[in-house]
This record gives sequence, structure tokens and C-alpha cells, in this order.
Amino acid sequence: MSLFLMFAYIVRRIAQSFIVLLAVSLICFAIFQFMGDPVLTLAGRYATQAQQDLVRKTLGLDRPFYTQYFSFIANAIRGDFGLSYVTQVPVLRLIFERLPASIELAITAMFLSLFLGITLGVVSSLKPHSLGSRVIMTGSLFGISLPTFLVGILLILVLGVSLRALPPFGRGRVIKVIGNWRTGFLTIDGLRHLILPALTLGMYQLAVLLRLTRGGMLEALQEDYTRTAWAKGLSQRIVMFKHALRNVLIPVVTIAGLQMGELIAFSIVTESIFQWPGSGNLLLTSIYETDHPVIVAYVMITALIVLTINIFIDILYGILNPKISYD
Amino acid sequence: MKRIPLLVMMGILILGLVGGLSVSSVAKDTIVVAVGAPPQTMNPHGSDSDCNLGVVANIFEGLLQRDTSGTLLPALATSWERVNELTWQFHLRQGVKFHNGNDFTWEDVKYTMERLRIPYPVSEFLAFGGLIVSVETVEGNPWIIDIVTTTPTSYFDQNLHQVFIMDKESTESRSIGEIGQYPIGTGAYKFVEWIKGSYLKLEANEDYWDGPPSVKYAELRPVTEPSTRVAAIATGEVDVLQDIPVELFDTVAKNANLEVVTRPARRSIWLGLRNEPGFPTSDIRVRKAIYMAINEDEIIEKVMFGHAFPCAQIPDPPTVGYDASIERLPYDPEMAKQLLAEAGYPDGFKIKFTGPNDRYVRDEQIAQALASQLAKVGIEVELDTKPKAVYFPEMDEHGLDFYLLGWFDGSYDFGRSFTKLLHSVDAEAGFGGLNGSSYKSIALDRLLEASAEIVDPALRGEALRLLNKVAMQEKIAIIPLHYQEDSYAIYKGRGISFTPRSDTWIVFKEMSIEK
Repeated sequence: MSLFLMFAYIVRRIAQSFIVLLAVSLICFAIFQFMGDPVLTLAGRYATQAQQDLVRKTLGLDRPFYTQYFSFIANAIRGDFGLSYVTQVPVLRLIFERLPASIELAITAMFLSLFLGITLGVVSSLKPHSLGSRVIMTGSLFGISLPTFLVGILLILVLGVSLRALPPFGRGRVIKVIGNWRTGFLTIDGLRHLILPALTLGMYQLAVLLRLTRGGMLEALQEDYTRTAWAKGLSQRIVMFKHALRNVLIPVVTIAGLQMGELIAFSIVTESIFQWPGSGNLLLTSIYETDHPVIVAYVMITALIVLTINIFIDILYGILNPKISYD
Repeated sequence: MKRIPLLVMMGILILGLVGGLSVSSVAKDTIVVAVGAPPQTMNPHGSDSDCNLGVVANIFEGLLQRDTSGTLLPALATSWERVNELTWQFHLRQGVKFHNGNDFTWEDVKYTMERLRIPYPVSEFLAFGGLIVSVETVEGNPWIIDIVTTTPTSYFDQNLHQVFIMDKESTESRSIGEIGQYPIGTGAYKFVEWIKGSYLKLEANEDYWDGPPSVKYAELRPVTEPSTRVAAIATGEVDVLQDIPVELFDTVAKNANLEVVTRPARRSIWLGLRNEPGFPTSDIRVRKAIYMAINEDEIIEKVMFGHAFPCAQIPDPPTVGYDASIERLPYDPEMAKQLLAEAGYPDGFKIKFTGPNDRYVRDEQIAQALASQLAKVGIEVELDTKPKAVYFPEMDEHGLDFYLLGWFDGSYDFGRSFTKLLHSVDAEAGFGGLNGSSYKSIALDRLLEASAEIVDPALRGEALRLLNKVAMQEKIAIIPLHYQEDSYAIYKGRGISFTPRSDTWIVFKEMSIEK
């Protein structure tokens, strides 16, 4: 029974996702009408009116809005997002070349924020009123409230420029793994370059997870089962990690998972500060160059990633917590 | 007892990454330059912006080239002359090979010149390509060619340093996407790898006709974020930095590890004003009043942090048509008020100012300063600043009242600039394409057209200087503000020799590393 319900649920969610994607693409297209005319940048400073018209025709931008939109959708369904205006390379190839860098950054940010967030959360819940806990909590307030670009610039100034501890920008040495997948995980230089941008990207996450863990732990430590565990004379480590933390982790992991999509999708600011060669950086360059096909495809892929992750989380959540039903 | 070793290991790992290996100075055979604006494409005709041309110039070469000061020198042509009004003759360099091993021949020149005419996505040099009628050998000698133009074009040779010669065979056989990603030229450096917006890696061309360049590997890294750009040079991650952000200039200048080099930029920043009858600004007295109400020294000191030079005209000194005798009107708000009263605006008037906010150094702040200075003489400026992607299309509709633009001419010819910027708008003929306010002066149009027919370069220069002087002093066709400043920071102690170029191109063969 539940298997069937789950299947129906997944189908429904996928159908909903398609509607969301359609809406996203329509909004993108509508925005372009106000975003500046790509023809002017592409035809060059010295082009005459006739030459500009020719370019407009080549790009199919002389057609009415709805024709452009429908032909885009028809092609997109077949997985063809067209050629980039500027580089004349298939847009998908361009984005997939850059995606690995963004994914590596997001994974590292995720890892750092999970590891540090949970560790610090647990530490600050042990003695909630001690000086150390107060410092951690104040710090987490900064993490939540400071905008990403400021965090990035501060980290560059302190760890990069003043202390010279870590390289301030770029991706360092990368190694080609398969096809276009280059990784910075396998070289020390690459790992060193990862730390600052990953910390910047994950800072907000870290603070959120820290507060979530701490809140959960404080509550769990008051629960009857924890008291029972203490009363049985179990060691602090077993009580903390085996009894309390396990229960706290369910919401923490859910939130972290939900935010994973956002880390990949919204790394634009971090990537531009650190000149990270990822897809966010590509998006920014494309906006400057009014390269509309790249922008639409990026937004669509991003939406797709976020939607997919959300569906997975919902399903996993149901598996983890049998109380949730799919009707 | 399992978790502690894990934590310890993590700690060691992090410490290792942070502490160790920060000293990574190996024997230097690579020069790394950070620039503010990334190149768009490796197709040498695909973009006519200097941040693109100045980079592909390492891989490709024109028939001619320019040295750091802007002097025209031979490159793929060994000598050249104008044989008659329409014909230019070139002696080609023999024994030059493209990076793929193909020989450089006159057919490549012919092919390139024809390619310039193919519109988007191939070429942005359409106007220049359209000037060329034919490229033919002289009496069957494949090393001497005649290029014939449609009209007498006195600046033809002036533009050839940026028309890069491509290999006919490999260009014809590859897609435009491929060409834009994997360039093949005759230049001093061979292409290695390009990740757009991140880095471009080049390697010395050992078979270069002028001998292999001194630096073996060259790397160009665009860093758009100003504070990161400063961090890049402060930590020595890059050897040379172009475009020190003006707001962080002092930080860089104070750094003992860095040497700062500046020079006046070619680009001037100036204001356009509508002169259509009926507008207050069609009255020459009002134009003069606005000019005199602007305190340029204050703008340079307060807005530009001292990093700009006042200008009295659009072109810079090396441009044909520059006239050193043109002077700025003095800053005199009292006189400005008087002129306004004479013109019938004793209480001033309202005017809308349109300008970019992400194109030129401190463009939005300049606009704000202008508004407050003009308010002092009673002119109320309604500010409308916007991103360049929105601003430039608006400008193309020629309907602005008061606007800001930056300009320099890549072909060093004021006549060509004037045609684009201030000739009355004529879409058919391609005149006045960037005349944002439909400025129209029949006298200036006539002067310009007359100058175009003069073949003798000296006489033509004279005519353009006259045109310039009349436009700036009599007509106040525009209000000039300042030349920007080109700035560079070089990391000391690495033996790097680097001379900035007037055109801001990054030409690696001119650099060297002392061993």
C-alpha cells in the first residue's frame, strides 16, 4: 500500500516540478525583455543599423516573444539549450564544464559546516553558560547576520593577506579525472585554495546548524531518556553522542540536505569574490555579456537541482520517519 | 576512544594545509598577470574591446604592431606604403609559421580581410572590413600585396595592429565555437588552456620570427572583484596587477613589496548635452555655464582620489586631431550664474542626467558630484544612473538630454571618433551611432566631411585639429571632464621588468624576468 502511495506521490511531485520549471523559464524570458539588447553588444561598437538587424535575424530575436519562447521550450525538452551567443559553444557543455568546480565547493562547504556546526553545537550545549559557549553563540550570530561578500572579504584580508596562511583566490592546481571533470581534491594546492571560499559559502549554514544542534541538544539533555541514561551511570560520551545527539541529528541532517541545493545554486557571490571558476562565475560573466542562452539554461538547471534534492529529501524523510504519510 | 584520534588527525591536516607549503616560490619561468576585465573570446575578430584585443595579441599578430608608446612598427609586414589614394602596399615577412605548422602566406591575409566582413558571430570589425575592396599580389610576387579600399582611408594603416591575421586552412576547417576556444596564430606565445573568466595559460613560441620571448610561460588571470584583486598582488599570487582599484590605491602604494606604476589613460570621461532648439542646453551660454559650474579639480581630488587628469577635449595626445592648445574653461560659479541669467534662466532649470553605474571608474559617484555642483548655480539635476547593459541601448536611441560617456579611439584617429560620437545622427550612413543626445551642428558635420577627403596625412591632421578646436571651444559640443589613470602594481624582488602600454594591452613578449 505505502509503496503505491509513495509512487503516486513521486509522480505528482515530478509533475509539479515541471510546472515550476515552466514558470521559471517564462519568468527568465520575460526578464530578458528588460535586460538590455544582446544585439548591441554582439554586433560591435561600429556596426550600422543594417548590420545590427542582420545579427538580430541570425539570433532569431526579430521573432515575437511567444515564438521565441515556444521554440526554446521545444528544444529544451530535447535537452538542447542552444548555443552561447558569445562563445558559440553548446550552452550545456559550457555549464557542465564549470559545474564540477561549484559542486566541489558546495560539498566542501557542506562538510565544513556540518562538521564544525555539529561539533560546536554540542560543545556549547555542554556548559551553556560558560564563557566558551557564549563566544561560540555570539560568533554564530555574526555568521547568520553578516552578508556573504563581507565574510569573504574579511577572510581574504585576515587569513589571506595579513596572516598569509591561505591563498586568497582561484582554484589552485587541478587534476583531470574523467572527461571535463577536473578536481582540486587531489592536490594539496587545490585543497588549500578550497578552504577560504568553502568557509565563506558555508558560514551561514554553519551558524544555522550550530544553533539547531545546540537547541536540540539542550532540549534532549532534559528528556527522560537522557536522565535515565545518566542515572544508569553511562559515561558522558555515550550519553551525549549515542542518546542525545542521535535524536537531534534528524532535523539537522534534513536542513543540511535541503540547503545543499542552495549551496550549489547560490554560490555566485562567493565564486565572484574568490574568482572561483565554477558555474556561478560563468553566470555572472554571462550576465555582463548579455549571453541570454547561458543565463536561462543556468537558471533552469539550478531549479532542477533544487527541485530534485527537495523530492529526494521528502522521500528519505518518509523512510526515516514512518509517521509521515504520502497522501 | 575512537573519536579523539580522528579530531587530532583533522587538526593536523588543517594545520598542514594552512601552515605548510605557503612557501611555494619555485624557480621563476612563469609570469602571472591579473587584469580587471576578462577576455570574451579567443576569436581574434570576435570582440573589438581592448581587454580582448590586448590578450589575443599574444597569440596572433597583425600586419603591423605598436610598441609600448603607441608607435606603429612592422610585424607580419616588413614595410608598407600608401601607393595612391585607395591603395596600400605591404611587403610580407617570409618564413613565418602558424602555431600548427602552416606557413604564413598572402592568402592568409586575403582570407583574414574577407573574414572581417562576416557579421556576428565571426567579426566585430565590420566597418573596417567593409572598406576593403581587394587584396591582390603585385606582379605575381606572393610576398608583395596591394590592399585597395572603397574610399580614401587615411587611417587604414593605423588600424592594422589590431586586425589579427588568421590561418586560412585551420580557420576554414573548424567551427566558430572551436576557433573561439582554441586559437592558432603566429604570435610570440602559443595557446595552452583557457577557462573563461578564470585563467588563460600561454607558452613561449620557440619558433617565433623575432626570436623566442624571454618568459617561458605566461598566465593571465582576470579578477573582477576589486578587493580580491588587491589581495592577489599583496600576497604575491600574481606578479603584475592591472587596474589598482582607486579606493584601495593607498593600501597598495604603502605596501613595501609592491611597486606602483601609473600613467594617464587614453580614455577620457566627458558629458554630452542635447542642443535641439527649445532645450535650455541649446543656448551656448547655458552650455558654457554648466561647463564653468563644474569643479573638475574637486572631482579628481574627492571622487577619483587624485587618480585622474583634467582634460579639455576627447582625444588623448597620440591621437591624430589632438590639439594641445585647447584649454578648459575655468571653474567660475559666479560667471556661470551670470551666463544663466543672461540666457533667461536666472533661477536655473531642471535637467535629467543619464549615466552608467558599472562602466567607468567611479562613474556613479562622478554623477552625484556633478549634481551637487550644478545645484549650486541653480540647476537641478535629476540623476538616472543604471547598469551599462541598460544604459547603452538607451544611448542608441539618441534621446538623452545630458549624459556621461568615456571614450578613446583604438585606431588613434579623432575623425573616426567624431563621426561616431558627434556627427548628426544618420543611421543609413552609420554616422552618429553613439551620439546619445542627437547633437547636431551643421558646421561641424561639414568640417568633418571635408577632412575625410584630404589624403595628405599632415593636412588632414591639421583639419581634424581645427574641427576639434571649434567643437570644444566655440560650440562646447561636449563638456570634457578627465582622463582616467592606468595603474599597475608589480611585485618587487622577482626581477620582473614590465612597461605599461598606452593601449593597456598585456603583451607578454615585452616582459622579462631577471634570473
